[in-house]
Amino acid sequence: MASLADCTSMPKVLVRASPDLGDSLGVHFGLSTRDSSGALVVGYGYGEWLVLDAPDPVPDVIQRLEATPYDGLRSVIDVTHGHALLRLTGADTADLLSRLCPIDLSDDVTPNGAALRAPVGGLGVALVRDDVDGERSYLLVVDRSYAESLRDMLVDAGHEFGLAVAG
Amino acid sequence: MTSSHRLPPQPGEVIDRAQRFTFRWNGRPYQAYAGDTIASALAASGVRVLSRSLKYHRPRGLLSADFNDPNCMVTADGEPNVRAAHRLVSPGMSVSSQDTWPSLRFDVKAANQLVGRFLGPGFYYKTFMRPQRLWPAYDKVLGRFSHGGYAPTAPDVDRYDQRYAHPDVLVAGGGPAGMAAAVAAADAGARVLLVDEEHHLGGHLRWADAEGLEILRELRAAVQAAGIEVMTDSVVTGRYDGNWVSVLQRSVPGVRERLVKARAKHMIVAPGLIDRPYVVGGNDLPGVMLSTAVRRLVNLYAVKPGERAVVLTANTAGDAVAADLGRAGVDVVRVLDARQDEDVVRIVGRSAVRAVECSDGAVVDCDLVVTAIGWTAPLTLATVSGGRAEFRAEAARFVPVGLPDDVSAVGGIVGDGSTDQLMEHATAVGREAARRASHRAVALAAGVPHARVTAPADTPAVAIPDLRPAAHPMLSLGRTDGIVDFSEDVSAKDLKSAVREGYDSIELAKRYTTATMGPSQGKLEGVNSIAAVAAATGAGLAETGTTTGRPPYVPVSLGALAGRSHQLLRRSPLQGWHDSHGAAPLYAGSWVRPDHYGDPAAEVQAVRDAVGIIDVTPLGKFDLRGPDVPDLLELLYINKWRKLGVGSVRYGVMCAEDGVVLDDGVTGRLGPEHYLMTTTSSGAEATYDWMERWLQTERRQWRVHVTPVTSNYASINVAGPRSRELLARLTDLDLAPDAFRYMQVRTGAVAGIADCVVWRIGFTGELSFEVHVPAGHGLHVWKALLATGSDLGIRPFGIEAQRILRLEKGHLIVGQDTDGLTQAYGAGLDWAVKLDKPDFAGKPELVWQQMRDDYLRLVGLQPVDGAVVPPEASQIVEDGTRIVGRITSSRMSPTLGHAVCLGLLAPHLSSAGTTVTVRLPGGGSIQARVMPELAHVDPEGVRLRG
Repeated sequence: MASLADCTSMPKVLVRASPDLGDSLGVHFGLSTRDSSGALVVGYGYGEWLVLDAPDPVPDVIQRLEATPYDGLRSVIDVTHGHALLRLTGADTADLLSRLCPIDLSDDVTPNGAALRAPVGGLGVALVRDDVDGERSYLLVVDRSYAESLRDMLVDAGHEFGLAVAG
Repeated sequence: MTSSHRLPPQPGEVIDRAQRFTFRWNGRPYQAYAGDTIASALAASGVRVLSRSLKYHRPRGLLSADFNDPNCMVTADGEPNVRAAHRLVSPGMSVSSQDTWPSLRFDVKAANQLVGRFLGPGFYYKTFMRPQRLWPAYDKVLGRFSHGGYAPTAPDVDRYDQRYAHPDVLVAGGGPAGMAAAVAAADAGARVLLVDEEHHLGGHLRWADAEGLEILRELRAAVQAAGIEVMTDSVVTGRYDGNWVSVLQRSVPGVRERLVKARAKHMIVAPGLIDRPYVVGGNDLPGVMLSTAVRRLVNLYAVKPGERAVVLTANTAGDAVAADLGRAGVDVVRVLDARQDEDVVRIVGRSAVRAVECSDGAVVDCDLVVTAIGWTAPLTLATVSGGRAEFRAEAARFVPVGLPDDVSAVGGIVGDGSTDQLMEHATAVGREAARRASHRAVALAAGVPHARVTAPADTPAVAIPDLRPAAHPMLSLGRTDGIVDFSEDVSAKDLKSAVREGYDSIELAKRYTTATMGPSQGKLEGVNSIAAVAAATGAGLAETGTTTGRPPYVPVSLGALAGRSHQLLRRSPLQGWHDSHGAAPLYAGSWVRPDHYGDPAAEVQAVRDAVGIIDVTPLGKFDLRGPDVPDLLELLYINKWRKLGVGSVRYGVMCAEDGVVLDDGVTGRLGPEHYLMTTTSSGAEATYDWMERWLQTERRQWRVHVTPVTSNYASINVAGPRSRELLARLTDLDLAPDAFRYMQVRTGAVAGIADCVVWRIGFTGELSFEVHVPAGHGLHVWKALLATGSDLGIRPFGIEAQRILRLEKGHLIVGQDTDGLTQAYGAGLDWAVKLDKPDFAGKPELVWQQMRDDYLRLVGLQPVDGAVVPPEASQIVEDGTRIVGRITSSRMSPTLGHAVCLGLLAPHLSSAGTTVTVRLPGGGSIQARVMPELAHVDPEGVRLRG
């Protein structure tokens, strides 16, 4: 079984700086971690981080990120509206994604906490393994304009797995 | 028809006698059991002729009784070229023979046999070359003789899809060796994918004795217990660099065919061996079968293949088939042992086997001839992996050598032995494959920050027991001429004839005769083809060599290659509204946009007279931050940017290094080190690449972040003389002309939505405000504008109206009014090019262009007859034929009631007032006048600055 939920309304903040900022944020490219506030900080790219699922309002998140000690050029941008965010949860989700994504999603290569950018059905997607209560779960971040295309592809691939769509 | 040839239950049978049903063959009902193939069910009812051959339309029956069988291509439920010896029959299935008329039994085209001696190799090439003018007629006639079924005309509604897999070890072949290797690899900790062409694992053990069947049961249990992913009715179709292995998977519920793209760390090739046909006169008559075919029919499908049999054997498989036949109640009237120099000279019959002429002169009446004269090792997967085929004369077969480190081979293609010996070898290979795969996994994970692959213990390589092919007599071509390639109707005589004509290499003879080029693709006829060529040239098989195997190993449907059909469309947050309000969709690049809402001319009029709104979300948008942004802008744009103040917007044009116009748009300064840039919709990605190229390679010292934010905003252009009045009702921003001037930007709330970016620009030529709204609130603002402006005559307008408006105003569209050669001066951008800047992309070329006078210029044009709109791309000609320009944009102007155009025109004709000739695509021509400005409406810009 697998489920798909639309979490697009969840706050999303992009941080750009030199990769050194990862030391302060506690995570580097390819990984994700929950910070002290509970927000998910994703090493989104080389010198790029995406902060998701923050419990605080976006302005507070931005203020906190801008206050993080760092000397270089830093851009903190609210991209809540620019990206769609889908959560795919369930034991079969790696198999489901294997219909669309060429990445090895096995536990040893893409364990919980892994973050990567990958083609999913031909779309550039940020894929974050973010298990929920021990259950396999992926967050998929995609350009908002492609949200419907991505959702349609996941639903199509999910028929075989009894995908339940929420939201 | 009843199953008159069905045997009592057999120990290894795969049919389910509890599920009996009816299907139809050439319109008549037949009985079958679940698990039967089409061919086994027909054979169980005594059907012996399943097809007619390609060229001579000779009757053909079962030969190998598996996927490779060339003699049982049928149409099943409308699907042509179904392999009846492999496809499982299903209740109600309608099966018919192909390319026979009026019937399979009485086929008129069998008359080809009468002129067979004229249909030798090269017949078509030689006969239909001349006269050339008759080729269309030849083509028509020959088309009627093309073999195979007819493609269905109805759309294919079946589902085809794809998936990716990442096994540590992929085993291609599910016989005893393949299963043993898979289990050993899995036991050593590897993730294993086991692929087999058959519907059930087991290979030749499926028709083994009781002891063999027990081994099979144990192996299947071990495969299941080891957690191995098994794909039956599936084929490895190719292996590519990096062990990228393609697998065609069938029998997936709800999916017709699935292409599995497997990235295996190690591949084990285990295809087993193929029973080779004997080339002798009459070898294609129905009733001539390979030993493995008979063993399948008897043991898997409980079918009695004949009544009186002659067996020609050169190995233990032939010996065993005689025993199987005896058990099935077939009278084995003669066993000819090739190891004792006994032979079949000729097989006699007309529509089926009637007798055999033996080498001792005896003529034996029979209806079944079974041959077991040698093995072909299918080496395609090994050779496409980089290995070579090496001929072992003593064993009369090719073997693989020189495999790369990440590919191994097990089973019959390596050598012979008892089942235990084959499994012992395969087990060692499987363990070694797992060991190599574990090292490969570590290497692959080295660059992956999140991978947690544990380095394996430094264990030594597994010792692989020796396995060699056993001695076997070389039997291929018999004492009389027979068919070599059953798919293509090519005989040994044909191949020898080809050699005599000079096609004396196997690759040339193959192409000249088409031997090995049919559906069997050399699996049955490959070695015999080589033997025939070798016999004609006098060379040995080793010297003659093999043809080159290439993927795919079996036919792959276009559906499987295509996978699911997903249309990746970008949609603005307002697209749903456009769809529900009758907008005609326009597919522009990856975006779908509203072209118009039914009446573009009225939409234009609304903008000119009152107010209109358009969704311009696809405009490329970039957030630029950092102290060096002005330097970047100065470099990218041909005009000046350093003095752009906070709150101001400027139009800019980018050129490539060759001075050709690349993109245009406006950029606004939102803060001291914060800018928002827009680009054309179609040029956004290229512009982003262009900027990053400079920042990442040429100007790495600049402190600038460029972040794409196209989808962050729903962008709405509010245009028309009443746009200020409308927007003022929804925002607290001061929109007064002096407070918010043309080419300025403000941020604030619109319709209650904070953080909107509003700038005052004028692409339509009217007073207009472009509002960039956080995308999630775009629909709210759109609806608020429409509701609030209802008393102002508001209406939405689409791309077509926008194109008319901008054309009336003479605003160029990059890519529409320019092409890959149009430099800035040619695009009428003289005013923007600032050669006094120290540097910018394209400057040297533009300096040179300014000194020349030989380039096309963008001009405004109006047809003399204002009712005629010359189509875009119409050529502008001089002296009747010489092309001196073209129309780049043209529309009927609702505002002027007159056709208006932009065009690129030779310099000597580009002066205002010149009349030029425009040739229309359908013939004829019109006169058009060069206008003093690009703008046809409001050239002074009074309206947009209002």
